[in-house]
Parts: sequence; structure tokens; C-alpha cells
Amino acid sequence: MNRRIAIQAQELSFNYENERILTNISFSIGAGELVALIGPNGSGKTTLLRILLGHLRPSAGEVLLDNRRMQVYAPKQRAKTISYVSQQIGVNFPLTAFELVSLGRFPHASRFRFSTADTSSVTKALDATGALHLSKRNFTTLSGGEQQKVLIARALAQSARILLLDEPTVHLDLYHQLQILSALKRQCVEQQTTVLTVLHDVNLISLFADKALLLGSGQLRACGAVAEVITERNIKELFGVDMKAVEDPETGLRFFIPRDPFRSTIEQT
Amino acid sequence: MKLKKPNWSLISIAVFLSFVLGLSVGPVPISFFEMSSTDRVILFNLRLPRSLSAFFVGGGLALAGAIFQGLFRNPLADSYLLGVSSGASLGAASAVVLGLASPVASFAAISFFAFLGSLMALGVVFYLGQRNGGFSIFRLLLSGLGVGLFLSSLVAILMLMAGEELKSLIFFFLGGFASSSWDTTWASLGLVPLAVIIACYFAPELNVLLLGEETARSSGIRTDRIQLLYATLAALLTSISVSVAGLIGFVGLIVPHMIRLIFGADHRTLFPLTFFSGGVFLVLCDTAARIIIAPAELPVGIVTSLLGVPIFLYLIGKEPGDYTF
Repeated sequence: MNRRIAIQAQELSFNYENERILTNISFSIGAGELVALIGPNGSGKTTLLRILLGHLRPSAGEVLLDNRRMQVYAPKQRAKTISYVSQQIGVNFPLTAFELVSLGRFPHASRFRFSTADTSSVTKALDATGALHLSKRNFTTLSGGEQQKVLIARALAQSARILLLDEPTVHLDLYHQLQILSALKRQCVEQQTTVLTVLHDVNLISLFADKALLLGSGQLRACGAVAEVITERNIKELFGVDMKAVEDPETGLRFFIPRDPFRSTIEQT
Repeated sequence: MKLKKPNWSLISIAVFLSFVLGLSVGPVPISFFEMSSTDRVILFNLRLPRSLSAFFVGGGLALAGAIFQGLFRNPLADSYLLGVSSGASLGAASAVVLGLASPVASFAAISFFAFLGSLMALGVVFYLGQRNGGFSIFRLLLSGLGVGLFLSSLVAILMLMAGEELKSLIFFFLGGFASSSWDTTWASLGLVPLAVIIACYFAPELNVLLLGEETARSSGIRTDRIQLLYATLAALLTSISVSVAGLIGFVGLIVPHMIRLIFGADHRTLFPLTFFSGGVFLVLCDTAARIIIAPAELPVGIVTSLLGVPIFLYLIGKEPGDYTF
């Protein structure tokens, strides 16, 4: 398939106080792809996201968004190209879900007038994540899963072609995990949005992602189609855990069953 | 959640009525319809500047509180609790003691030093209240209270050293509007509305900042500039208030809290409403301060504390826990 390239990382390195956080990372992501970023805690995932968002300047290398260098984007222009859902945040003030999602229109809306086009973008975004019925509710009274749907709707309302997410399914129950990932998948397929998301669950990656980036101690260990890079061997190397691959006869997708790494020690005692 | 839309004609009526009340209460009874020349002097040279000062100081303090709350994403923040007012009063007191523009330090010098003092206090609280890039509600409050107590002790030392100027220094501790005149009113008339307009103009940016710095930056906001701008505005409003009327606590806590309950947290409506309501609130408190133990006067700061502390304690009780965000 010949896709337009949405994100291109060219030999990115990042140092923080003489410490190497990321080393020589290069990859490209095509428009409309759902890509999972996976790696152990402290492997540099969040740092990589911040560089791709333009919040951190890499010590070496370059990022291209839609084939244009990161530096040419003014902040608002960049926000119209790439949006972000950070790890869950607390909001201490009484905002309705609708008001919160409206904040996503910031780079588009005029300062004091919210146009009908803005309102329809907000409604569409709430609908896309299945949160439209929550519009009038106070955000702070929503459950974790409902809050996450609203926060993702906020990023969608920003109408950017690229969406980055940092662990969107953490703390959520199974139902909400699946609902959120399928909403993102639909966004990729129907709107040609490019999604790069940190995900820890290899089975969710198999189910939803097109590609995966494997990050270990600041280096890109593998990058490619999920079937090729999410393997027993790579998981063992990256996380030091044994997982057994099983093929689902219905979908042909490969899923993984974890092996208890402590079982042998328990049996001995 | 059902929120009311602000009714601006109702607000104008409230402002008008508070002024009528503030202008008519005092030791000398005045009839608005048959005024003698002394009545006119009392009304235009004493009570009008006093009510205007109370209005702008109240509005300014309430707005400063709302700004701090948005900036720190913390509904308990307030100039007084964060120690910023104490910083301003130390600045103002040093201007007097250092004898700038002696014999009587001019209002401009006092306000300028108050501004420097409040910026310094805010800087220290900012530094101490932060951990891992986030502000914990209680870390921030405790830092503010600590810094405030420390700076107030310094003001106390200055008072003991001051001798003759003791009286004018006590003013920066126990404030009030008894000595308000047109000289001090002009400054607040000019600067406070300017600060209100700037605060309202950048309200959309501060709204997005309620969702955290990362989200705000990814929405195209230069977060450090906006934070610096609002910190400066809040410090400016605090220092003008302290220079005009000394330490007055809790206005910035009570008023934004009430407005948020009724009208929601959107800063585009919160800021103007907070300003006008804060103004009305302090004019009423100042009127009460003149009535409660008449013919003597209570410092207005005592009235606001009596109302504010219960609300503050109630809000602390409502906090779910010490979390950072």
C-alpha cells in the first residue's frame, strides 16, 4: 500500500543532564495507521511522544509532520496538525463534558465566539467516542472510563490529522478498553486519522494496531507490522517474560498467554 | 449539572445598590435630596472615594484569587493564603521605613515596592509548592502559609524599628478604607480595570490550562508565557489592594467559589463576574465594618475573615486527598 507519510522520525537522540534517554531512533508512520508504542517503564516512551509533539527539542535528529519539519510550525498551526491525550488528569473545577471538549477547539475558535462549526465539531467528537450522552454531565462526577472518552473527544475536536495518546486504556475496565480502542480504530479507517498510542497490552495491540514500535532502554528494538514484531522472542527480550503465542482460529490473529515467571520457585518451596 | 447564565442587568443593579448603601451609611446622616455643602464634602471627598476604593480592591482581590486558582488548578488558592499579600505588605512597609519619598512615602513608591514584595513571595511559593512538575494542593497551601507567616514576622520587626511611622505600618497589617482618599483611589481606578481586561482577554488560554500543561501545550498555547502573565497580573492586583487597604483576606477565596458554584468554571464568564461580585462584596463588608461597633469601626479584614474562614474550612473538608496533577 502506498500511503502518505504522516510522522517521520529521523535519527532522533535525546540527552537529559548527560544521560542518554533516546538513541538514534528512526521510523515513519503512514497516514491512517494505528500504531502502538510499547516498551518497559522508563524506556523513553513519554520522552519520544513529547519530541513528536514538539514539546521537547531532540538533541540530534529531526521530526517531520506531514513532510514538514517540526520547526516550521507555529504553536497553533502545530496544534491543528497533531493533538495529544496525556495520561489521565484531574480536573478540580465544575466543567461539563461538553465544555471540556470545547476546549479542544482552542486553535480554531475565535477568542470569544463559538461558531456553529465549532459546536458541530464538538458534537461529532463526543459522538465518535460514544460520549454524546454525557455532554451535560459534570466531568468530575464521571467514571474513569467515561472521563477518558471525554478526554479523547477533546483531542478529536482539535481536528488534527495526527493523534498521540499516552496509555489511554490504563485504569479502565475491559469494556471501556475495547470501546476506546475501537473508537480510535474507526477514526483511523473512516477519517484517515493517524494514531500513535502507548499501549502495554500485547493482545490489544494484536487486535487493533496495524504497526508496533518496540522501545527498549531508549533504542528502537523493532518497528513494523504487528504480526512481524510482536513475537514471543521480542517480548522475551523486551520485558524478560515468557508468553506463549496462540492463533485465534476465527480471526487468524496471534494472541499471547503469559507464563507465571515465579511458578518454578513456588513449586520448590 | 445545570448552570445559570449571568444576568448583567441584575449585576449592574447590585453594584448600584451597594454604592447607594456604602454612600448613605456613616456617622453623619446625609439626605441625598437636600444636601448642604458639608454633606457634599463628606459624600464626594470621603464616602465616594472610600466606596470606590472598596469596590476596586474587592474586585481586584477576588479576581486575583480566581487567577491563582486557575493558575494552580486549585480551588483553595488565594493571595492571602499563598502569602502573596504578606509579601506585598512587607514591600509596602519597607518603602515606608526606608523613607522613600520622605517624609510621607508616596503612594506610587509604596505600590511599586508592594508589587516587588508580592512577586518575590509568589516566586518562593511557586518554587516550594512544586514537586515533579505538579502542584499538590496541600504542599502549595502550607508553603504559602509558611511564607506568609515568615514575611509577617519581618513586617513586625520593621514596625518595632519604625518608631514614628508605626501607625502607617500597622495599616498594612490591619487594613481598611477609613483613610481612603482620591489620591489612593485614582491608582486603583486606572490599573485594576486594565488588569481585568487583560485577564478576560486571555481567559480561553487559562481555560485550556485547567487540563494541565501538557494538554495546553499540545493545544498550541505557550504555557510559560501565559503562566507568567497571569502570575504578574495577580501579583499586581494583590499589591494594589494591599497598598490601598492593607491586608484583607479570603475575598479571593469566597467570591470565586460562589460564582463557580452558580455559573461554572469557564474563565470567560468567571473573571468578569468575580470582579463585579468581589467589588460589591467588599463595599458591603466595609459598610458592615462601619455599623457593627458604631461609632467605632472594625478593620474590614476582620469582617472578611469571619465570613471566609468557615468557607475555607468547609472547602478543606471537601478535598478528597492530597493528590498532584
